[in-house]
Amino acid sequence: MVNDVTGFFLIKIKKILSLILSVVTLVTLGLIAIGCGGPAYQGWSGFAGDDGVLYFGSMDGRVLAINTSARSQGLPFPSEGEWILPVRAPAASGGMCGPLGCMPTAQPTTVYGTPVVAGNLVYVATYAGDNGKVMAINRLAPGYDEAGIPAWNEGEWFYPRSESEFIGSVVGGPIVLEDTLYVNTSDGKLYALDAVKGNERWEFDTGGKIWTDPAMKDNVVYISNYAHKFFALSSVDGSLIWEIELPAAAASSLAVAGSDVFFGTFDNQLYAVDGTNGNVKWTFGGDNWFWATPLVKDGVVYAGCLDHNIYALDVSTSNELWRFTADDRIVSTPVLVDDLLVLASESGTVYMLKADIGKPEHDPVSVDTSVMVPVRAPLYAEGNMVYVHASNRCVYCVDVQSGEKVWGFCYSEVE
Amino acid sequence: MAELWNTIILEPVLNILIALTSVLWGNFGLAIIVLTVIVRLILFPLTVRQTQSTKAMQSLQPRMQELQKKYAKNQQKLQQEMMKLYKEAGINPLGCLWPMLIQLPIWIALYQSIMQALAHTPESLLSLSQHLYSWGAVGQAVPLNEHFLWLRLSRPDPNLILAILVGGTMWVQQKMVTPPAADPRQQSMTSMTTLMMPLMFGFFTLSFPSGLALYWVVSNIIGIVIQYFVSGGWGYLRAPSVPKQAAPAQKTPPTQKPIPAEQQSKVLKQASEESKTIKQASSEEKKKRGLFGR
Repeated sequence: MVNDVTGFFLIKIKKILSLILSVVTLVTLGLIAIGCGGPAYQGWSGFAGDDGVLYFGSMDGRVLAINTSARSQGLPFPSEGEWILPVRAPAASGGMCGPLGCMPTAQPTTVYGTPVVAGNLVYVATYAGDNGKVMAINRLAPGYDEAGIPAWNEGEWFYPRSESEFIGSVVGGPIVLEDTLYVNTSDGKLYALDAVKGNERWEFDTGGKIWTDPAMKDNVVYISNYAHKFFALSSVDGSLIWEIELPAAAASSLAVAGSDVFFGTFDNQLYAVDGTNGNVKWTFGGDNWFWATPLVKDGVVYAGCLDHNIYALDVSTSNELWRFTADDRIVSTPVLVDDLLVLASESGTVYMLKADIGKPEHDPVSVDTSVMVPVRAPLYAEGNMVYVHASNRCVYCVDVQSGEKVWGFCYSEVE
Repeated sequence: MAELWNTIILEPVLNILIALTSVLWGNFGLAIIVLTVIVRLILFPLTVRQTQSTKAMQSLQPRMQELQKKYAKNQQKLQQEMMKLYKEAGINPLGCLWPMLIQLPIWIALYQSIMQALAHTPESLLSLSQHLYSWGAVGQAVPLNEHFLWLRLSRPDPNLILAILVGGTMWVQQKMVTPPAADPRQQSMTSMTTLMMPLMFGFFTLSFPSGLALYWVVSNIIGIVIQYFVSGGWGYLRAPSVPKQAAPAQKTPPTQKPIPAEQQSKVLKQASEESKTIKQASSEEKKKRGLFGR
């Protein structure tokens, strides 16, 4: 009798276990399918500002211009100086459409790097899986005519010019000096382009993936790649001035101050390298990557780290002046507004710290200031206002003096 | 729960994988292969046990089918007889399930580790930082070089080579362990199942990162090797697709052929022997029938 009951339950258990196993297998396969089904990127472009207008790449494949005055008044979008320009691929054709027409691409396009404004052009570099483009958009009359047909305004260009050609995808933003634009690509190259016409002047192959911005000082371009290399090149012709090999690859973009270059690496170090000869001046260790671009002012390096801390270090000795622990990782690059250091943690809390002592200006930190959604894009300051591009596809304006959020604009609602 | 999973299972596997990459000259493809081999070696006793249990269960199949026919209208009696049969053969019917269940989390962790370590978007690279130890070897290896042979490990293989390898090795492995069914309808379903999974995974390979497909291929090959030595041959891969009933004159592999009714007692004896541990097999038998005397 006991055996009968045991047998009965044993067979039932076997069936249940088979069922569990099948479910687990199906769930696993489902997770695999979901995990690999679509692109897991949305971008984190910062802002380029001019005359009260902010230019940035959206997280849904567009470039936007928003007028800060119009947004603070809550006027309908678009108001004066505002526009929105799709650069993503239309689903039907599988191409990436911009002011210059459609480019074939299988993956959606987004923007990671902060655009640059120079003259009447705003320069944007795009990321679409393996492929990238650099676009120069007329910020006063962006490339669509009244009928909504992509137009090619005078002075606008994209690189490479052919619709079917691409450079490697761009994660770091471009920089423009005089009439030359410099941009790093994930296929390991630095391109120098004519900023006016978009023609290539020269290129330099570093031999390793680059996902950071280049930096420049005194006709020298500094770049680092993921093959642990760090280069100084002539900005005129791209000739190599010096190169060094680091124990680990650079995690952050580069900041130049005086003759030194500052950056974080994947072995949790912050480096100060002499820009004239490549000698390492000092290193400073954190508990995670220094991902945000360091900020240097008045002999102090402010370095946000993924260990939740922002460190203030003496620029020449690396002595720690103070550190402040945020409620989450610091991914976005902070900004200085007068004597206040404004930073956002990844969870969306915005802190305003006294730059000399590292104490919060408003204590306790105001809940009204916080955007409470992940923030990874660099912050941007204009006057007393700090602008935050949050991952819920909204832009927030925070008044540094009052410590309050003044307005928010969610562009995902805009067609 | 997710945090517990990450701390106990995912992060150790992930960090070992990245540290291995550092040790193996920054070659992530090689690290995937080596880690897959290491994990399969660690799980070797479980795999062997699972294979043995499955095999022992399969050897009872003719007798089970007969019981099912005999007691088709009396489920209770059928269960009693089945339990009696298992008991006589010394087989635990759950024996083949537990090793599989224990291995499953490790496979999932290995899969997740490969996907995370590849970090093919800036977001995934940023996310990776949350799971890394502060080992020097780990910091120096990240971000990983995704190039291996003709492959970019974070992207699907543009050729069909990896898809064919994944599908082919999976088919061989399944074919080795799937016994042919006597019933033509059942046989057709078995053939379909044996073919469907390799086709499905081959199809996945066309759109999945090739690093993951590399892991599948290596894992399948190791599985085939283990199966070969544990079973003492190619198993059902070389057996006829439909078993021939009561053909005593025909020479077929002794461990794979369905056993006629008159040999049932022998079957029970054999199944009983098969359920015993590896140590009980004599060294002479090992040489003759396979590594574990089967």
